[in-house]
Amino acid sequence: MAAIPKEKPSRTDEARAEFARYKADVKARGKPFYPYAMFHDTIMSVFVVVVIVSLAVIWKWTAFGPHHDPLHKGLLGGEVAQPADPGTTSFVPRPDWYFYFLFYLLRIFKWPESVFLGTIGIPTIALVLLIMLPFLDRRRVRRPSARPVAMVAAVLTIISMGVLTWKGATAKEALASEIKQDIPNWVKAEHLPPGALPGARLFASAGCTNCHTYNGAGGSQLGAPDLTAIGTRNLGVPTQIRHLQNPGSVTPGSPMPSFASLGPQRLRQLAVFLEASKGGK
Amino acid sequence: MATTYRRTPTKAELRRQRMEELINFPLDWVEERSGLVGGVRYFLFRNVPSDINWMQTLGSAALTAFLVQAITGVILAMYYDPSASTDPHTGKPVAWESIVNITDHLTMGWLVRGMHKWGASVFIILMFLHMGRVFLFGAYKYPRELNWIIGVLILVMGMMEGFTGYLLPWDQTAYWASVVGINLNGTAPFLGPWLAQFLRGGQEISGETLTRFYSLHMLVIPGAIIALITLHLYLVIRLGVTSPPWSKDAAGMEPEEAEADGRRAGLTRPVPRPAGASAMQAEPGGRE
Repeated sequence: MAAIPKEKPSRTDEARAEFARYKADVKARGKPFYPYAMFHDTIMSVFVVVVIVSLAVIWKWTAFGPHHDPLHKGLLGGEVAQPADPGTTSFVPRPDWYFYFLFYLLRIFKWPESVFLGTIGIPTIALVLLIMLPFLDRRRVRRPSARPVAMVAAVLTIISMGVLTWKGATAKEALASEIKQDIPNWVKAEHLPPGALPGARLFASAGCTNCHTYNGAGGSQLGAPDLTAIGTRNLGVPTQIRHLQNPGSVTPGSPMPSFASLGPQRLRQLAVFLEASKGGK
Repeated sequence: MATTYRRTPTKAELRRQRMEELINFPLDWVEERSGLVGGVRYFLFRNVPSDINWMQTLGSAALTAFLVQAITGVILAMYYDPSASTDPHTGKPVAWESIVNITDHLTMGWLVRGMHKWGASVFIILMFLHMGRVFLFGAYKYPRELNWIIGVLILVMGMMEGFTGYLLPWDQTAYWASVVGINLNGTAPFLGPWLAQFLRGGQEISGETLTRFYSLHMLVIPGAIIALITLHLYLVIRLGVTSPPWSKDAAGMEPEEAEADGRRAGLTRPVPRPAGASAMQAEPGGRE
């Protein structure tokens, strides 16, 4: 069978020819891995180990070297936080720093319509694009100056991940003591009846404001909705209690933790407060 | 090439020859039965492009960070107790107490735990930097596409190590971050609720979640990472590392490409290079 003569070699043929040339070049005029490349690798590896040991030393000496208090925080954080306690909910959920970009992404999207984009949508798309990169960019050229689209995309990715990480790191945490002082303003703005006051105090101290905002107070984390006018939805006290006990049963897929550990009496107080919050109407 | 002796070898020469055979015997024994010595020799003495640069040490730096994690992790596993039950004497969770014990009371325990804790961040940073280098060099292109994908999988596995390892101290930070993290996994369509249920080992985060995370953190995911790194290195050795793309002497560059580069760089007389030979090997001065 006679081969059909080709006008121009295909991209695959060119890539194969280039790789064959590469192999020949390296064989003819490369240098052996040992000792040349290995020398540089060794210096770099020693440097990495030194950096890791230094971080451990700084962590120890600033946090618990002279203090002997496992909860004291140093330059690089404390030795350990208080023991895990499923009964308290007044704790701000904070992941390790390399998840901050995902963590902050959730603040951009609001529950419940678009938060799916922040939790699963965008991370999945980004990961698929990352895996598919060699198939999306199939040109042979490797010089950065000849790949403007790739370079701009890379810079934008680095900037957005950097900004999200920075915002996640500096996100304000809502302190229960500060939020509590805000309660009189809530009563005025929302016309809260006296019966809703125990619930308001609970709301300020039980950790709700770590994620939810209320009348401008609190931090909007993880796409949690603003609760200033939650009462206008007239869900009813029993539904509110059910939601607090098991958020997923009322709002499927909710990332909110269960607050069942507060006990039925306090859950009822919280539910009454939430139902009374009509946004001042 | 075997040396042919015209005369009978002296006693000293024979003794020397026998000594060499004796020293090489274990290596020869292994080589004859496995070919591994030849493999290691190939790994060490294979050629790499002569113009590789410092950025290309980031991969081995990430490997070093992983090895630090593996070694410190093994030591921590000897003393860590993944139990969420309460110590009757102190009223504190056993896992939390064992972490405090490692950090405060074990000889050099703070160093081992500190290196593991901070080595994790260094490992993640180095993986990202290494990925950035590969992207900058366009080194994910033919024939290295598969190795790029393996690299992305190692990065994902590394972040999963971070997620599962974060819970192990069983403190408030760890606990509530994991509560929310698992709930977020649960929002994924189809598999999400199942995945969240599997990770928790029930409806709530409990001691069962802790042992699950511990098993994933020190058996399943590291096993996967070791397998993936082995594949990654095999492909690096098989396919070779790329020259920096801006190099005037990049391996695999087309001759006319090299010429154009030479002109751009202001070299008036670019040296034509026949395929397979190099300018460095050309005879100095030339012959006229």
